[in-house]
Amino acid sequence: MSGISDREFAETIAPAAVSHCSPARQLRIWLNIGIQSFGGGAATLYLIRRAAVEQHGWLTDEEFTRYWGICQISPGINLIGLCILIGWRVSGWLGVALALAGLLLPSAAITIALTAGYASVEHVPMVRAALRGTAPATVGLGLLLAYSMARPLLVAGRREGRANLALAWALLIGSALLSTRGAPVLALLWGAGALAALGYWRLGIRQGQTR
Amino acid sequence: MIDALVFFALMLKAALFSTSGIGNLPIVHQDLLDRGWATDRQFTEALAIGQISPGPSGLWVISLGYLLDGLRGAILVLIAITLPPLLVLLVHGFYRRLGDHPATQGFVRGLSLAVAGIFLVVLAGIMRGAGINITNLLIALGALGLGATRRVPVIVVLGLAALVGIALF
Repeated sequence: MSGISDREFAETIAPAAVSHCSPARQLRIWLNIGIQSFGGGAATLYLIRRAAVEQHGWLTDEEFTRYWGICQISPGINLIGLCILIGWRVSGWLGVALALAGLLLPSAAITIALTAGYASVEHVPMVRAALRGTAPATVGLGLLLAYSMARPLLVAGRREGRANLALAWALLIGSALLSTRGAPVLALLWGAGALAALGYWRLGIRQGQTR
Repeated sequence: MIDALVFFALMLKAALFSTSGIGNLPIVHQDLLDRGWATDRQFTEALAIGQISPGPSGLWVISLGYLLDGLRGAILVLIAITLPPLLVLLVHGFYRRLGDHPATQGFVRGLSLAVAGIFLVVLAGIMRGAGINITNLLIALGALGLGATRRVPVIVVLGLAALVGIALF
């Protein structure tokens, strides 16, 4: 990445000078988070923050917030990015490997086991009936998820003025409409991103609105 | 038949060009449905299982991988979603300079709004597949209401919905 000197990079993201946490202990901490984090992303985020900031002092509250902001603009699942950053901070690549293993192996294994269990009873009539109930419920929960994604952005838009709010609604509705027309989704997502980058740059936004 | 390599590449692409746990859904949905490798029903099942399993909510795609291609599919997905977040180490380098720039923040907003918008369309498709009738609408609204209170765990909401399904169908 141009413009970033090695020294600056090293300073901002160097593994903590004193890593008094043995690899086995790090793995145990992350496994604990991975196993306990039922209830979706918010629960996982809470557990990571508690372990990394409050219990082990790997980073300050401020750094944690900054790390989370970085993950918002990085590719892939934000929580995985967060544990990569923290793992790196604690003990470099080893820390990254331990964090990923601890967070993902238990939860992935449980996800696979649940799916396998489901797949083996999929054709039982009672399960089929149960599924006819859970399908619309999944839609209801999905609506909630979409709402919780869009709401903070619309609220921020409203605070910033009419033009910003209109742009937010236009992006939300426009992408939905275009996707029903079979537009390539990747182009749609990045088109919306580019439009918003340009739009909010011209219009100005208040800092720190997007979590 | 699912080509493992193409499947892996599609999952990797979706994770690479999106952010957050549900951000890859619109891309994965279009790619897999176009190829006839997945159905809306499988997406519904994977999303439901993803909601009740622990860890990041983005792990729903692991469940989808298992439904489509067994253990191999699940493991391919796990690798495909683990690699792109590693780029966070690079993003960290220029975040200090560009992270607060309105264009960067704007880009993330646009991406999230588009994901939410397209997700709504995907949900509408799932609902159409399940059948748009009073019963289904009431179940969906009930789940939405219970979920919105934030007091009722997702697994309880889905469990109740399953009981309603068993009682009615």
